[in-house]
Amino acid sequence: MSRARFAEILQRLAATDTEFIVVEMTAGVLHGAPVTTLDLDIVHRRTPGNIARLLRVLSELDAVYRHDARGLRPQESHLMSPGHQLLSTSLVDLDCLGMIGDGLGYEDLQDRTVALTLASGRSIRVLSLPALIETKEQAARPKDLAALPVLRATLEESKRVP
Amino acid sequence: MRTVSSSRPAPADPLLPDIDENGVDRAQIRAMLALSPEERLRKVEEYVAAALEIRQLNEPRSLR
Repeated sequence: MSRARFAEILQRLAATDTEFIVVEMTAGVLHGAPVTTLDLDIVHRRTPGNIARLLRVLSELDAVYRHDARGLRPQESHLMSPGHQLLSTSLVDLDCLGMIGDGLGYEDLQDRTVALTLASGRSIRVLSLPALIETKEQAARPKDLAALPVLRATLEESKRVP
Repeated sequence: MRTVSSSRPAPADPLLPDIDENGVDRAQIRAMLALSPEERLRKVEEYVAAALEIRQLNEPRSLR
Protein backbone atom coordinates (compact mmCIF):
# COMPACT_ATOMS: atom_id res chain seq x y z
CA MET A 1 0.00 0.00 0.00
CA SER A 2 1.70 3.19 -1.15
CA ARG A 3 -0.87 5.68 0.09
CA ALA A 4 -3.88 5.25 2.36
CA ARG A 5 -7.05 5.73 0.32
CA PHE A 6 -9.90 5.83 2.81
CA ALA A 7 -12.48 7.39 0.50
CA GLU A 8 -11.84 4.84 -2.25
CA ILE A 9 -12.32 1.79 -0.05
CA LEU A 10 -15.55 3.25 1.34
CA GLN A 11 -16.74 3.78 -2.24
CA ARG A 12 -15.84 0.19 -3.11
CA LEU A 13 -17.69 -1.22 -0.10
CA ALA A 14 -20.73 0.98 -0.69
CA ALA A 15 -20.85 0.10 -4.39
CA THR A 16 -21.30 -3.58 -3.52
CA ASP A 17 -24.07 -2.85 -0.97
CA THR A 18 -21.91 -4.25 1.81
CA GLU A 19 -23.51 -3.39 5.15
CA PHE A 20 -21.02 -1.86 7.56
CA ILE A 21 -20.64 0.95 10.07
CA VAL A 22 -17.55 3.16 10.18
CA VAL A 23 -16.34 3.40 13.77
CA GLU A 24 -13.29 4.66 15.69
CA MET A 25 -11.23 7.63 14.53
CA THR A 26 -12.22 7.49 10.86
CA ALA A 27 -15.77 8.08 12.10
CA GLY A 28 -14.38 11.05 14.04
CA VAL A 29 -12.73 12.40 10.89
CA LEU A 30 -15.94 11.99 8.89
CA HIS A 31 -17.75 14.01 11.56
CA GLY A 32 -15.14 16.76 11.29
CA ALA A 33 -12.71 16.03 14.11
CA PRO A 34 -9.21 17.27 13.21
CA VAL A 35 -7.51 13.98 14.03
CA THR A 36 -5.58 11.47 12.02
CA THR A 37 -5.47 7.70 11.79
CA LEU A 38 -3.64 5.06 9.81
CA ASP A 39 -6.44 2.53 9.47
CA LEU A 40 -10.13 2.19 8.78
CA ASP A 41 -12.29 0.39 11.36
CA ILE A 42 -15.66 -1.00 10.40
CA VAL A 43 -18.27 -3.14 12.14
CA HIS A 44 -19.73 -5.37 9.44
CA ARG A 45 -23.09 -7.15 9.47
CA ARG A 46 -22.38 -10.81 10.15
CA THR A 47 -24.81 -12.51 7.81
CA PRO A 48 -23.72 -14.98 5.11
CA GLY A 49 -24.86 -12.71 2.26
CA ASN A 50 -23.14 -9.64 3.61
CA ILE A 51 -19.95 -11.48 4.37
CA ALA A 52 -19.91 -12.84 0.82
CA ARG A 53 -20.15 -9.24 -0.47
CA LEU A 54 -17.42 -8.09 1.91
CA LEU A 55 -15.16 -10.99 0.94
CA ARG A 56 -15.52 -10.11 -2.75
CA VAL A 57 -14.25 -6.59 -2.05
CA LEU A 58 -11.49 -7.90 0.21
CA SER A 59 -10.39 -10.32 -2.49
CA GLU A 60 -10.25 -7.54 -5.10
CA LEU A 61 -8.11 -5.52 -2.70
CA ASP A 62 -5.72 -8.41 -1.94
CA ALA A 63 -6.58 -8.33 1.76
CA VAL A 64 -4.33 -10.36 4.03
CA TYR A 65 -3.90 -10.51 7.80
CA ARG A 66 -1.66 -7.62 8.75
CA HIS A 67 0.47 -9.42 11.30
CA ASP A 68 0.67 -12.81 9.61
CA ALA A 69 3.91 -13.49 7.76
CA ARG A 70 2.23 -16.26 5.73
CA GLY A 71 -0.11 -13.79 4.03
CA LEU A 72 -3.22 -15.52 5.36
CA ARG A 73 -6.39 -14.33 3.61
CA PRO A 74 -9.65 -13.72 5.51
CA GLN A 75 -12.30 -16.41 5.17
CA GLU A 76 -16.05 -16.47 5.83
CA SER A 77 -15.56 -18.20 9.20
CA HIS A 78 -13.19 -15.44 10.35
CA LEU A 79 -15.62 -12.68 9.43
CA MET A 80 -18.59 -14.48 11.00
CA SER A 81 -16.83 -14.39 14.37
CA PRO A 82 -17.30 -11.50 16.82
CA GLY A 83 -13.53 -10.95 16.85
CA HIS A 84 -11.37 -8.32 15.21
CA GLN A 85 -9.82 -9.08 11.84
CA LEU A 86 -6.85 -6.77 11.32
CA LEU A 87 -6.20 -6.70 7.59
CA SER A 88 -3.91 -5.00 5.15
CA THR A 89 -5.37 -4.15 1.73
CA SER A 90 -4.08 -2.43 -1.40
CA LEU A 91 -5.91 0.75 -0.36
CA VAL A 92 -5.66 1.04 3.40
CA ASP A 93 -5.21 -1.04 6.54
CA LEU A 94 -8.71 -2.26 7.36
CA ASP A 95 -9.98 -3.60 10.67
CA CYS A 96 -13.18 -5.62 10.29
CA LEU A 97 -14.70 -5.78 13.76
CA GLY A 98 -17.39 -8.30 14.57
CA MET A 99 -18.25 -6.48 17.78
CA ILE A 100 -17.01 -3.44 19.65
CA GLY A 101 -17.30 -2.21 23.22
CA ASP A 102 -19.49 -4.30 25.47
CA GLY A 103 -20.41 -6.87 22.81
CA LEU A 104 -22.07 -4.49 20.36
CA GLY A 105 -22.50 -5.75 16.81
CA TYR A 106 -23.92 -4.18 13.65
CA GLU A 107 -27.55 -4.63 14.67
CA ASP A 108 -26.94 -3.09 18.11
CA LEU A 109 -25.21 -0.06 16.64
CA GLN A 110 -27.27 0.71 13.54
CA ASP A 111 -29.74 2.95 15.39
CA ARG A 112 -26.83 5.05 16.59
CA THR A 113 -25.45 5.85 13.17
CA VAL A 114 -25.84 8.60 10.63
CA ALA A 115 -25.94 8.12 6.87
CA LEU A 116 -23.35 10.10 4.94
CA THR A 117 -23.56 10.41 1.17
CA LEU A 118 -20.41 9.93 -0.87
CA ALA A 119 -19.57 11.77 -4.09
CA SER A 120 -20.80 8.73 -6.04
CA GLY A 121 -24.26 9.21 -4.54
CA ARG A 122 -23.92 6.06 -2.47
CA SER A 123 -24.37 6.37 1.26
CA ILE A 124 -22.46 4.83 4.13
CA ARG A 125 -23.37 4.46 7.79
CA VAL A 126 -21.08 6.09 10.34
CA LEU A 127 -21.31 5.79 14.11
CA SER A 128 -22.79 9.05 15.39
CA LEU A 129 -20.46 11.42 17.17
CA PRO A 130 -22.27 11.11 20.55
CA ALA A 131 -22.11 7.30 20.25
CA LEU A 132 -18.42 7.44 19.32
CA ILE A 133 -17.75 9.59 22.38
CA GLU A 134 -19.65 7.09 24.51
CA THR A 135 -17.61 4.14 23.22
CA LYS A 136 -14.41 6.04 24.01
CA GLU A 137 -15.66 6.88 27.51
CA GLN A 138 -16.55 3.25 28.15
CA ALA A 139 -13.30 1.86 26.76
CA ALA A 140 -11.40 4.39 28.89
CA ARG A 141 -7.96 3.25 27.76
CA PRO A 142 -5.37 6.04 27.67
CA LYS A 143 -5.69 6.36 23.88
CA ASP A 144 -9.48 6.62 24.15
CA LEU A 145 -9.34 9.21 26.90
CA ALA A 146 -6.79 11.22 24.92
CA ALA A 147 -9.22 11.47 22.00
CA LEU A 148 -12.14 12.71 24.09
CA PRO A 149 -11.40 16.46 24.32
CA VAL A 150 -11.21 16.90 20.55
CA LEU A 151 -14.27 14.70 19.92
CA ARG A 152 -16.33 16.56 22.52
CA ALA A 153 -15.21 19.91 21.11
CA THR A 154 -16.16 18.74 17.60
CA LEU A 155 -19.61 17.78 18.83
CA GLU A 156 -20.02 21.17 20.46
CA GLU A 157 -18.85 23.04 17.35
CA SER A 158 -21.01 20.93 15.04
CA LYS A 159 -24.08 22.04 16.99
CA ARG A 160 -23.26 25.64 16.06
CA VAL A 161 -23.21 24.88 12.34
CA PRO A 162 -26.49 26.10 10.86
CA MET B 1 -20.80 10.57 31.52
CA ARG B 2 -19.78 14.11 30.77
CA THR B 3 -22.31 16.16 28.86
CA VAL B 4 -21.31 18.66 26.22
CA SER B 5 -22.71 22.11 26.60
CA SER B 6 -23.08 24.68 23.86
CA SER B 7 -22.62 27.54 26.28
CA ARG B 8 -19.16 28.45 24.95
CA PRO B 9 -19.48 31.72 23.00
CA ALA B 10 -18.49 31.69 19.35
CA PRO B 11 -15.36 33.78 18.64
CA ALA B 12 -15.89 37.15 17.04
CA ASP B 13 -13.16 36.64 14.43
CA PRO B 14 -13.04 33.14 12.88
CA LEU B 15 -9.44 33.71 11.71
CA LEU B 16 -8.01 34.21 15.20
CA PRO B 17 -6.62 31.22 17.11
CA ASP B 18 -9.26 29.82 19.38
CA ILE B 19 -7.77 27.31 21.80
CA ASP B 20 -10.13 25.98 24.45
CA GLU B 21 -9.38 25.01 28.06
CA ASN B 22 -8.33 21.49 26.96
CA GLY B 23 -5.88 22.79 24.39
CA VAL B 24 -8.16 21.93 21.47
CA ASP B 25 -7.94 24.27 18.50
CA ARG B 26 -11.57 25.15 17.82
CA ALA B 27 -10.67 27.04 14.62
CA GLN B 28 -9.21 23.80 13.22
CA ILE B 29 -12.47 22.02 14.00
CA ARG B 30 -14.50 24.70 12.27
CA ALA B 31 -12.22 24.44 9.23
CA MET B 32 -12.87 20.67 9.13
CA LEU B 33 -16.61 21.17 9.56
CA ALA B 34 -16.60 23.46 6.52
CA LEU B 35 -15.47 20.52 4.36
CA SER B 36 -17.52 17.61 3.05
CA PRO B 37 -16.93 14.21 4.71
CA GLU B 38 -14.88 13.02 1.72
CA GLU B 39 -12.79 16.19 1.73
CA ARG B 40 -12.07 15.49 5.41
CA LEU B 41 -10.81 12.02 4.51
CA ARG B 42 -8.59 13.48 1.76
CA LYS B 43 -7.01 15.77 4.36
CA VAL B 44 -6.09 12.73 6.46
CA GLU B 45 -4.80 10.88 3.38
CA GLU B 46 -2.59 13.82 2.45
CA TYR B 47 -1.29 14.17 5.99
CA VAL B 48 -0.54 10.45 6.37
CA ALA B 49 1.16 10.33 2.96
CA ALA B 50 3.37 13.29 3.81
CA ALA B 51 4.28 11.92 7.23
CA LEU B 52 5.11 8.47 5.84
CA GLU B 53 7.21 9.99 3.07
CA ILE B 54 9.32 11.87 5.60
CA ARG B 55 9.68 8.73 7.69
CA GLN B 56 10.78 6.70 4.67
CA LEU B 57 13.31 9.35 3.68
CA ASN B 58 14.82 9.16 7.15
CA GLU B 59 14.83 5.42 7.69
CA PRO B 60 18.29 4.16 8.59
CA ARG B 61 19.86 2.41 5.61
CA SER B 62 20.98 -1.17 6.20
CA LEU B 63 24.72 -1.71 6.00
CA ARG B 64 26.00 -4.08 3.35
